[in-house]
Amino acid sequence: MQLIQYILRRLLYLIPVIFGVSFVIFILFNVVAGDPTPLLLGKNATASQVEELRHQLGLDRSLAAQYFDIVKSAFTFDFGRSWATKQLISEVIVNRAYPSLTLTVPAFVISTILSILISLVVAYYRGKGLDTFIRVLCISLMSVSSLVYILFFQWFFAFKLGWFEISGYEEGFPNFLAYTMLPGIIWIILSLGPDIRFFRTVILDEIYQDYVRTARAKGLSEITILLKHVLRNALIPVITYVVIQIPFLILGALLLESFFDIPGLGGTILQAINSSDFPVIKAFAILSSIAYIIFNLITDILYAVVDPRVKLN
Amino acid sequence: MSQKETKSLWAEALQRILKDKVATLSLVIVVIYALIALLVSLGLVAGDWATAAGPENMAPNGDFWLGTDFLGRNVFKKVIYGTQVAMSVGLVSSLIAIPIGISLGAVAGYFGGIVDEAVVWFYTTFSSIPTIMLLISISFILGKGINSVYIALGLTSWVHLCRLVRGEVIKHKNRDYVQAVTAIGGGHTKKLFRHILPNIFHIVIINASLQFQVAIKSEVILSYLGLGVQDVPSWGKMIDDAKQELIQGHWWQLAGATIAMFIIVLAFNILGDALRDALDPKLKGKDA
Amino acid sequence: MSLLEVKNLTVEFHTEEGVTRAVNNVSFSVDAGETVGLVGESGSGKSVTAYSILGLIPRPPGKITSGEILYKGQDLLKFSERELRGIRGNDISMIFQEPMTSLNPVFKVGYQIAEALMLHKGLNKTDAWNQAIKLMDQVGIPDPKRKAHAYPHEMSGGQKQRVVIAMAIACDPKLLICDEPTTALDVTIQKQVLDLISELQHLYKMGVLFITHDLAVIADIADDVIVMYKSNLVEQGKTKDIFEKAQHPYSKGLLSCRPGLEGNPKRLLTVSDFMDNSGNELKVSQERMKPFTKSYTHEEERNPVILKVDNLKTYFPIKAGFFRSTVGYVKAVDGVSFELRKGKTLGLVGESGCGKTTLGRTILRLEEPTEGTIQYGDISINELDKNDLRGIRSRLQIIFQDPYSSLNPRMTIGQILTEPMEIHGIGSNSKERLEKAEYLMGKVDLLPSHLSRYPHMFSGGQRQRIAIARALALNPEFIICDESVSALDVSVQAQVLNLLLDLQEEFDLTYIFISHDLSVVNFISDYVGVMYQGKIVEYGTADEVYHNPKMDYTKNLLSAIPKGIPKS
Repeated sequence: MQLIQYILRRLLYLIPVIFGVSFVIFILFNVVAGDPTPLLLGKNATASQVEELRHQLGLDRSLAAQYFDIVKSAFTFDFGRSWATKQLISEVIVNRAYPSLTLTVPAFVISTILSILISLVVAYYRGKGLDTFIRVLCISLMSVSSLVYILFFQWFFAFKLGWFEISGYEEGFPNFLAYTMLPGIIWIILSLGPDIRFFRTVILDEIYQDYVRTARAKGLSEITILLKHVLRNALIPVITYVVIQIPFLILGALLLESFFDIPGLGGTILQAINSSDFPVIKAFAILSSIAYIIFNLITDILYAVVDPRVKLN
Repeated sequence: MSQKETKSLWAEALQRILKDKVATLSLVIVVIYALIALLVSLGLVAGDWATAAGPENMAPNGDFWLGTDFLGRNVFKKVIYGTQVAMSVGLVSSLIAIPIGISLGAVAGYFGGIVDEAVVWFYTTFSSIPTIMLLISISFILGKGINSVYIALGLTSWVHLCRLVRGEVIKHKNRDYVQAVTAIGGGHTKKLFRHILPNIFHIVIINASLQFQVAIKSEVILSYLGLGVQDVPSWGKMIDDAKQELIQGHWWQLAGATIAMFIIVLAFNILGDALRDALDPKLKGKDA
Repeated sequence: MSLLEVKNLTVEFHTEEGVTRAVNNVSFSVDAGETVGLVGESGSGKSVTAYSILGLIPRPPGKITSGEILYKGQDLLKFSERELRGIRGNDISMIFQEPMTSLNPVFKVGYQIAEALMLHKGLNKTDAWNQAIKLMDQVGIPDPKRKAHAYPHEMSGGQKQRVVIAMAIACDPKLLICDEPTTALDVTIQKQVLDLISELQHLYKMGVLFITHDLAVIADIADDVIVMYKSNLVEQGKTKDIFEKAQHPYSKGLLSCRPGLEGNPKRLLTVSDFMDNSGNELKVSQERMKPFTKSYTHEEERNPVILKVDNLKTYFPIKAGFFRSTVGYVKAVDGVSFELRKGKTLGLVGESGCGKTTLGRTILRLEEPTEGTIQYGDISINELDKNDLRGIRSRLQIIFQDPYSSLNPRMTIGQILTEPMEIHGIGSNSKERLEKAEYLMGKVDLLPSHLSRYPHMFSGGQRQRIAIARALALNPEFIICDESVSALDVSVQAQVLNLLLDLQEEFDLTYIFISHDLSVVNFISDYVGVMYQGKIVEYGTADEVYHNPKMDYTKNLLSAIPKGIPKS
């Protein structure tokens, strides 16, 4: 009962956030951005053509009405049609989500597991050579632009060595692997640095707690202490960090998808921005903020599962 | 105890950083980059980057350390000029993000209640839109050019600082030293500005050093999307140029910009860590 | 052969700032069935000594540079990590100071006890669990079957410490090391835990090494005493001998600086009365040691009533449910009334959570009262608006418990002391204020030249003096001391208590002294209020309350205080 109350109250919080997100979008695209018609019709459009289009797009309505249109779409999931392709946006999203997920989900799972394993090893050898080496490596990996990884890996492994497809996509397992493998590896390399740094800090924070000393005094080995006592406590912040990334997986990886021509949502957003396809951008912003709030809620619930001290209220 | 000189925590922190050779080197690198950026802004160096100084697409050699680009321009000079863009993006976006982050975070944390709820709602709204989408949308709508980059980066990066400041202010406002100010009759202004903010200011400094590298990296992505600086070279544009060049084997623009960027981002990363270790008062006092 | 023999142990810490010797050439032994008390103040090296026995000091930076630790004749320092693990929790186990943090928050307590049994005794999960329940029963946890499924945060501090004890005795250890096991506990709980440890020791014929800063506890529990001071062992012997005829001046000082329930001198003796800075013994005058009896003459009773609290209540709402509506109240202060005469001290005692701190803070309106009146002279504090309240703050001050968090680390002592004067316009310019700050530094026995220093350069006791100086900066008439000496070592505590009494005499101050420590309250107070569940359950002169308590709760509290008289 407590739990249901809690979930309901948190879901209610979605409403002010949707109003807020809609407002940000409204300010950006309906107020600051100005009139999109010249972009859509070209410079030589007649006044009547412009007028008709403005009416069609609802731009001749009052600003308040335009704002509430955005809010309304968040509750109806009816985002209208794309200005560029005239397709239904909800359909575009459903179609494009799959390729994105085939790239991001495996890469995300592998990079998370790998980072946790490496952080445990690093925490075990804390202060020693290996620890320093991994830390330097992490910082170095993080100091190179993601664009450079993409350019270099695509050029070297796909173009020069021909190990992977340079770009493109095929549906269905295992066909897509040939296309998603290389971008997936880049994703993992980009994630390792920040992930390991974060997990290492979290684990080391726990290692200096009093209960670890108690466990040592009990005669437990360092490995048991690390894998049982410390890891279980470190999981609490790790879960937040990991789960909150999940809603953004569906958005795919903007740059990776565009470079490797993967027809996912990330590429769709870029196209939408390049072609001033405002409804698509608005839809993405609203959907991702809804997902963000929901996954925030999931994090909190998981917290209560992992940490017996946490009471949801 | 009695022989110890009188030193504030700030002075001690600086001393600790200077004791650490790697951190000191990073600090020196940051200063050098900043100086280069300043000299470029004053038009004293690399002002002639646009002139075709040699043959096109020449590999690095004694005259042109990083070769020339497809118009025969000196790549080394472009890298130098790009320093100014990178450092200014970091600086200006910090100057936008930090005041917003501190003031909203401090007010929310200190006063709590409805003010707090409003601020939390505000930053939840911002953080629920993926940063990269917001970044791209803002710079797209404001139009191409460096000013849009500044604003877009500034408006997307205050959230993190705001959250941190709010949390710290909540922690500090219940500490005994702030309670003591209430007890001697000090008002809100005194408590917030004279007592709490100086005690959390290290967070702002650490955050700024991270903000710089985020900004420098974001500039690259915006440049690739054609939303970055126009008409002048930046590391992002040089990396973007490499899209075509790499296939022809012309790697030096990519290498030059990447190395220049790697060094400064690495330096900011190391400095950020060193600042965190040196400024975190958690480690101080209790062991005295 | 002794059960444990520590020979010439030297432990150093190697850090960037240099090498510090935490334990210097210390030797002692513990026999089976014997309790050895290891006494010393913070930084004396007593804990490092204890942790070295089980190899639990962090290495690096810690380093055992020489010595032997013989357990049943075998040198533990020569053991491999693996061999040591076989000893830990099995032959030798340990109980820690902080029951709140020494248990893993995410595992059930039953499991945490069973873990040692599975590891050392090879029991399977079910047997270990059942054994854990038996152990919990043995250490006096009610309904152990159900409680085994509890998580640490669902238990009280005392119960948690019992769990830690159950965990320690699970494998029938031969030696039990107790590191300040009762310091964080209330006095009644302390007594229960001490009794439990003694009982278990007799039952299992364990050797016990008991580390504490509290000599009164040692007297109750230990056969032998070791005194450590600045990394060195300065004295060891039978408990009775040490208490009756200590040889080393430091031991003498330590024994005298703790206030007892009776026979205290007018000002407490401190270590510096017995020993100068270079360790030479000083002669203490008979005059200084003479017991002092407080007088309650009628003349003093004519002092005006300065503070009158009537039916004061401070409730904190508990919010729950969908609309976060108030479903009840935590009644922190629940109808308190008393009067306090000028120049007198009211001691408020009680166990944690009894509301004594909230009461103090409510009187100063650092918390808002829910009901009742606070009359200070002719001012109704409870009716003041924010501005008037700030004006009157100069007359009522507070000194907090933790000297580490009560001073702003980014301000110099000079700034800290002049700030209150600036706010209230005391002194016409900054020079005058600085002069006053220098004067205050002298009053609290600190060097005026240290005004340019920052708080982190001072010790805990010195910081508490600075906090006192800050309170005095406004020439207050009334000061609330909220556990102001609780975080300090006993010898420093004695100095600060003396200082507070001196200042009271000089400036005719009125105190409310809040503490969980009954002996300290007895020493400093004229009147005592015993608090329990938000109410003052007993009130009277210190003499009446301590020698002729009327309420069972008070009697209970008083009987739980360690008497500090060794058994013969």
